[in-house]
Formats: sequence, C-alpha cells, structure tokens
Amino acid sequence: MLRLPINERPHWKERAQEFGFHFHTMYGEPYWDESAFYQFSLEQIEQDIEDPTEEIHAMCLDVVARVLEDETLLRRFRIPEQHWDFIRDSWKNGDPSLYSRLDFAYSGQGPAKLYENNADTPTSLYETGFWQWLWLQDNVDRRALPLQSDQFNSLQEKLVNRFRDLQFLTPGRELHFACCKDTLEDRGTVQYLQDCASEAGITNHFVFIEEIGCDAEGAFTDLDDQVITWMFKLYPWEFMFREEFGSLLGGNNVRWLEPPWKAILSNKALLPMLWKLFPGHPNLLPSFFEDELDKAEGYSELVKKPIFSREGANISIVRGGDVHSLSDGPYGEEGFIYQAMHSLPKFGQNFTLVGSWLVDDMAAGISIREDSNLITQDMSRYLPHIIL
Amino acid sequence: MKRSKNINLARMRKGRGASFVLRPLAMGITVALMGCSSDEEVKVVSSVEDCVNNTQLDKAQCEAAYQKALAEAERTGPKYARLSQCESEFGSCRESSGGFWMPLMTGFMVASLLNDNDRRYHSYGYYNPVYRYSASGSRYYDRLMTADGQVIGRYGKSSYTVNKSAMDPKPKVTKTVSRGGFGAVASAKSNWGGGRSSSGRSGSWGG
Repeated sequence: MLRLPINERPHWKERAQEFGFHFHTMYGEPYWDESAFYQFSLEQIEQDIEDPTEEIHAMCLDVVARVLEDETLLRRFRIPEQHWDFIRDSWKNGDPSLYSRLDFAYSGQGPAKLYENNADTPTSLYETGFWQWLWLQDNVDRRALPLQSDQFNSLQEKLVNRFRDLQFLTPGRELHFACCKDTLEDRGTVQYLQDCASEAGITNHFVFIEEIGCDAEGAFTDLDDQVITWMFKLYPWEFMFREEFGSLLGGNNVRWLEPPWKAILSNKALLPMLWKLFPGHPNLLPSFFEDELDKAEGYSELVKKPIFSREGANISIVRGGDVHSLSDGPYGEEGFIYQAMHSLPKFGQNFTLVGSWLVDDMAAGISIREDSNLITQDMSRYLPHIIL
Repeated sequence: MKRSKNINLARMRKGRGASFVLRPLAMGITVALMGCSSDEEVKVVSSVEDCVNNTQLDKAQCEAAYQKALAEAERTGPKYARLSQCESEFGSCRESSGGFWMPLMTGFMVASLLNDNDRRYHSYGYYNPVYRYSASGSRYYDRLMTADGQVIGRYGKSSYTVNKSAMDPKPKVTKTVSRGGFGAVASAKSNWGGGRSSSGRSGSWGG
C-alpha cells in the first residue's frame, strides 16, 4: 500500500460538470483530491480487505439475531421499545438489504482493524462506484497509469444487479427515494442510487424527507399524493424512530431500504457486542460498554464514541481519568461506548481510512479518505486507488 | 478484474436538459410508445353486458372483472380536492368515500385474445380502469387514459393497441392530511454549526 503523486486530469472539473458531480469542492475546500492515489497489491485487497469484510458482515448479522432476542440488549442499543416489533418483524421476514460500508484502519501490513459499520446511511457512494472508476479509466486512456491497473470497485455493477434482485423480491411496487433538504452531498448520493435503480428497470420517484406526508389511514405519501409502498431513505433510523411520523412505522405497508433491522448495525453498541461474541478476532478492536470499563483496565488509551453519531462527531480519547475531546458535535445523549486506541496509519502528513463496501453480503470495493486530523470527518478528502 | 466491467456512461451524464421531463398536465400524460413485441391489443368495455358481448370472458368472469375494476378505480384513480377541478379535466365526476372528487370510470381493459393461460389468469386477474379525458382545447381531448395518464387511444374504438405496461397495476393515490412528520431530529442537530462552515448549514446525514 503506497501513496503516490499523479498529475490531475487536465479538464476534470469540466468532466465533473458533465456527469453532475457537484460536491467535489465543499465549503471552499477540495473534497475530491486526485493529486495523489493509493496503490495496493491484489493480495492486500483480497486477503486483508475483501475476505475480512465479508466475514465481519456475517459476524454482524449474528449480533443482530442475538440482540433482537434479548430485551436487555435492545435497551443497551437504545432502541425505543415501541419499535422493537417493527425491527424484529423486518428481521424475521428477511427484509433484504442494499448496501453498507465498514471502516477500517489498514496500513498495508497486518490485519485491518474495524472502526465501525455504516450500515444504515453510508455516503461517498457515487465518488466510489462511479467517479473513481472514471478517474482510472481516463488515466489509463491517457497513459498516465499502466494499462493493467485495476481497482477494487465493482460497486456500481453490484448495485445494479442488486436492484434487479430487489425488484424481483418486491413485485408490483414503485420505489421512492428520499433524503434531507439542503444537502447537495446526500442528494447526489441518492441521485446515484436512482440511476442504478433506473438501470435495473425500476420505476422510481424522489421526495425530500421533510416533505413526506401521511393520509388519514397512516399511509405515507409523496408530493403527488401517491402512496409510498417502497422507500429508500438516506436518513438514520434512530432519527425516524424519535420523530412524529415514527409512530406510524410498522402500521403501514412499506418496504424499507435499508430495512429496519439495520438500526442494530449502524449503532456503535455493535462494537462491544462483536468483541463479546468474537473476542480476540484479528480484525476487531477491543470494545466495551460504559458499565464494563473495569474490563478495559489493560488499555492505556480508549476512544470514546457516542452510541449514535455520524461523520466522526463527538469523539474523545480517554487516558486514565483524563478525557481529551477530538471532535465536537450534536451527539452523545444516548450514551457512549469505548474502543481500544488504534491510530490510523499515516502516509506523509495524512491519516488514512479505508472504507470497504458491501452490496448485500458481497464485498464490492473500497474508498479512501484522508485527513490531517486523527478523526475522519465529512470534510476529509477523498482519494482514488488502484491495484497493481 | 476487480472493478465494474462496464458502466452505461450515457445514463450517468447529467448535462443541461438531459434529465428534463415534460409533464404537461396535473395528471402527467404520457403517450404510449408503440414498440413491437411489448404491444397488446385490448378491448375497453364499459359494462358487464358489454364485456360478455365483446370479450372471451363469460358472465361470471365479467361480473368479477367489473367489480375489481371499480375497486381499482377507487384505489388508484385521479383525485381532486374540488369538483370543478375534476370536471374541467374529466367532465363527469363523483365524490369518493375518502372525501375527494374522482372521474367516473369510463370502462376497463380486457385483452382481445386470451389463451388458456390468460383465461386462468383472468378468472382472478387484474383489470385496469380507464377514463375519458375531456378538457376542451387539450390535445388529449376525448382520449381514453389509465390512472397514471397513459393514453390508450381515442374514445369509441372497438379495440386498442397498447403497451403492455398499460395493463400493470397503478400506484395508489390518496389524500394527504399532514406533512413534515420526519426531519425534526436532523433539523435540530443542524442548528449546531461547529466544525463546519460558518453558515451552520447541515452537511450529510449519512456517514
């Protein structure tokens, strides 16, 4: 695993315009960065990333099954009691999932260590599945990269195929996509999924989360008053559970992407549960609930993460009795978990995080994020990669 | 190869005007594209008697079909808040059980030729209601269309050639009584502006 400089494609911003990639620069800072790339060997990709990704996903599904059978654990995961049946039913019915992303600390040597599972609302999908794919294609075409360069990135192909399966599993329904207003990034991610669904022949619509309505019977509606029967929402389950329309969930006939049982996986309580069920697993970091910190005494540094959070918010480092905040944010009221400190590898001045994607249960590619800070947040730069 | 073999670049292009969709009316009329293999010849029948006389279904099947089409019309038909809105597009309207105005079903579609499989299917089959559009001055005046605005043809013909998709069930339309029941948590958290731009605008709610 190397970080190598490369010249930018001369007209890449026009290319971004052509393909509607509008959030390559955010808040005046570059987000997409093609002044360098990461290079992996095939062995690193297959043995250190691809195989562990599928294995950990299977382990995570074990956790879901355990948690849903145990009310004490459901409380630990801070799932509101009124939604337990909604989540359990979706699991028992085998409601199909679309995608997720596991975040790893990986340096090119030794086992990749799982930071967390973005199983409910993962973003940076378009940049990964399409835009870095196009970057490789363009650079091979202009001979800036060797012809035999490859990339661990079958994400778009797998998404389209998965949508074909989902249509077969969800007959006679049209698919509504939704995300919040005022976020170009989320709208871009959802547009990309709409393109993949259209490619698979699924009739689809878009509605903003804030605009979803309901009728007298409690069915959800779009702005044309069409009843929503199948919905992809780029919006966290833990938010929806606590909102006004949350009380209608489960009472109306909607198929959800991601399915409700993903609420167990997008939850940081997953991490101590994984460590309990698979202690010592090479790809796991020792992790603990707040009330079992006595077991963590052997670790000089712990990372404290909110049970619910997005984009690396509200993280601190605990050394003995000393708490040092690394990032602030609006999360943490539902409690925290603790993970043994394991720093991101440093390439030059950059801390590097590897996001490993799954479509259903198949590993589908990686995304690389870089930050000058130890915490990867939503302003961390996105860099492409190759396999050579 | 560890990457996608092929990506449909034409679909991914988002140049100006590329994704422009023309929706001329409230209903969003779409003219059926006449392909070759995906077409089907259908009869539009307006009553049980009409159905018995002009299709291969028998009396019991026609009775069942008529009832199913009526129920489907209630579920998926165009809905208006005011009688005048409905009448301006469809002429004859009625008040629905849900308290809005809906056009009267002009008839329902039955395939002209039924093989043995179709016959079995049709004993429990799906019958799409059609409506007669009558907004004066509209280019769709006197056309028959399905609930989603797909045009079947001019009213009064003995049979119609339609795209098979015209036979598919249509999505349910209802009366929205409340909006804005989702999004409050994101809104509350986005007021927190630290670590981002000074505008306080929210970033992604994904991760």
